[in-house]
Amino acid sequence: MELLGQLAQGFVAALTPMNLLMCLLGVVLGQIIGVLPGIGPSAAIALLLPLTYGASPTAAIIMFAGIYYGAQYGGTLTSVLINVPGESSSVMTTLDGYQMALQGRGGVALGIAAIGSFIAGCLGTVGLMLLAPPLAKVALAFGPPEYCMLVLLGLTALAAVGGSVLKGLVTGVAGMLLGTIGIDPQVGAPRFDFGQLWLLDGIDFIILAVALFGVGEVLASCRMGAADPILNVGRVLPNREEWRQARMAILRGSGIGFLIGILPAAGATIASFVAYIAEKKLAQDPSRLGKGAIEGVAGPESANNAASAGAMVPMFALGVPGSNTTAVMLAALIMFGLRPGPDMFTTNAALVWAVIASMFIGNLILLLLNLPLAGLFARLLQIRYSWIYPPILAICLTGAVARANNVEDAWLMLAFGVLGWLMKRYDWSAAPMILGLVLGPIFENSLRQSLTLSHGSGAIFLARPISAVLFALAVIAVTAPLWSRIFRAKTV
Amino acid sequence: MRHRIAPGELILALFFALLGGLWIVAAARMPVWQGFIPQSGFLPLWYGITLFALAAAILARLYFEKAPHKDEEPVGKAFVVLAALAASVVGLDLIGFAPSIFLLLLVLFAAVERLPIVRSFAVAAAVTAVLFLIFRTWLRVPLPVGPLGI
Repeated sequence: MELLGQLAQGFVAALTPMNLLMCLLGVVLGQIIGVLPGIGPSAAIALLLPLTYGASPTAAIIMFAGIYYGAQYGGTLTSVLINVPGESSSVMTTLDGYQMALQGRGGVALGIAAIGSFIAGCLGTVGLMLLAPPLAKVALAFGPPEYCMLVLLGLTALAAVGGSVLKGLVTGVAGMLLGTIGIDPQVGAPRFDFGQLWLLDGIDFIILAVALFGVGEVLASCRMGAADPILNVGRVLPNREEWRQARMAILRGSGIGFLIGILPAAGATIASFVAYIAEKKLAQDPSRLGKGAIEGVAGPESANNAASAGAMVPMFALGVPGSNTTAVMLAALIMFGLRPGPDMFTTNAALVWAVIASMFIGNLILLLLNLPLAGLFARLLQIRYSWIYPPILAICLTGAVARANNVEDAWLMLAFGVLGWLMKRYDWSAAPMILGLVLGPIFENSLRQSLTLSHGSGAIFLARPISAVLFALAVIAVTAPLWSRIFRAKTV
Repeated sequence: MRHRIAPGELILALFFALLGGLWIVAAARMPVWQGFIPQSGFLPLWYGITLFALAAAILARLYFEKAPHKDEEPVGKAFVVLAALAASVVGLDLIGFAPSIFLLLLVLFAAVERLPIVRSFAVAAAVTAVLFLIFRTWLRVPLPVGPLGI
């Protein structure tokens, strides 16, 4: 009852014209940021930070939260329409979303993403409201061995993303290998920079993503430039059958996203990845995924939105950032003279509850904006490809250069673009490579920290309960096809 | 039915095998293990070995399980687009961000796709202006500048 009273007070604060305006501004800006490659929500919030010096902390944090979850949906637009993920958390959406667009169901893909994001955002916010303090304590129990096993669990599924298991493994390991370029985070020594200063920063996700998905896709498809565009973009709202297929995926994605979002540094990318794998494992016909299955869009999209609500749990309850974006938001809270941590829910309850209430409002604004606009966005597919692909290349090039004002990054994008083109032509999945690049450094750091803690003994992964459970799940994930084959052979 | 290894598949498998090999050689020169702590070369070495082995498995599969011959799609236009993109990257340092992007768009619209010249010019200018305004003016991202200052 006390909780509802605090939430009601939060709504009163969030519904003031100024806070409502900041919420609207936040979700719209977030959506724009999500569409643009090379600039993520954390960078956008950092850039906007100086503009909020004079504003109230509540209004500023409401806007920043709006940018955060708005960006998750913005990345969906480009993933579905042009097969270029604007954010790393939208990589999985490209697999089925773009296929749906090619089949003339782009409207439904965007529609279900908007509905899934709304439901997941609201469920995530309810989770944040109810579970923040107890769940934050569980998240604190995650040390390097638990992170290592969590990433291992994710990596076991790398191969399941693409069509061929062997090719998926090759591209996944290649991504992890590319993730070792740059400064070794443990000892600070440069590695695999081949004498090039610009490689010391490593290869950024955005370079690989725009190259493999953007440039590679354009080079593979540009010969179709004069071909007829997709005339039927279809309806926006899913029909009864599509809703039946998507509804459980949305609920599963919401749960997975929220729980993974709570873990510091895990974030929306791993959440969307795990949600997609869960859909593939649970599907009656897994071969549908990757060919335009609606649950392949609903699951990851719900997960990445719920993860942004989950990431607020450690930020508010412990003062620990759950992602890059919440790290910048945490800095903003400190800049406003607030002390994030266990006292936040008592000493700054008004701000916390106003932000939580604004998240309900922001998710509703996103839904109201995107359902009517989804059809409009999907109509972009009706434009002849000759008019579309040159601007895609221009956006890819701008995104690559904008990351660090580095022309070498543009050359790297070009080289990976050729690789992406070949991979596209010969059905080598690009998604495992990008996920390998993102997960590889987390895996290496946590593995080395764990082995340092245990004096080189691998038993640390089995001695800790959460880590042991995650390891067991990884083993089950790897051996599941084998067990199912044996089981089927015995029953036939 | 004719069987042969698709050249692109072979190139990809060889590329990944070489990448794995390169990592094995480079990682072997780094400290791999010290006391009980894995060092900089430990995981890269294992990544290299795994990638090399997996790519070798693909090469073996390509050799033993030759796929039915499929006619390759033409690649000429893709090379033209790639050349235009490469020229645009060269142009970033020489003439600056905005002119380079504008010329890339104009060449692709008007010369490669043979779209109406006036509309090509207008769309290229509009897209360049939008990108410039968002990244340079609004987000203040430093982009390469040429003699024209843009």
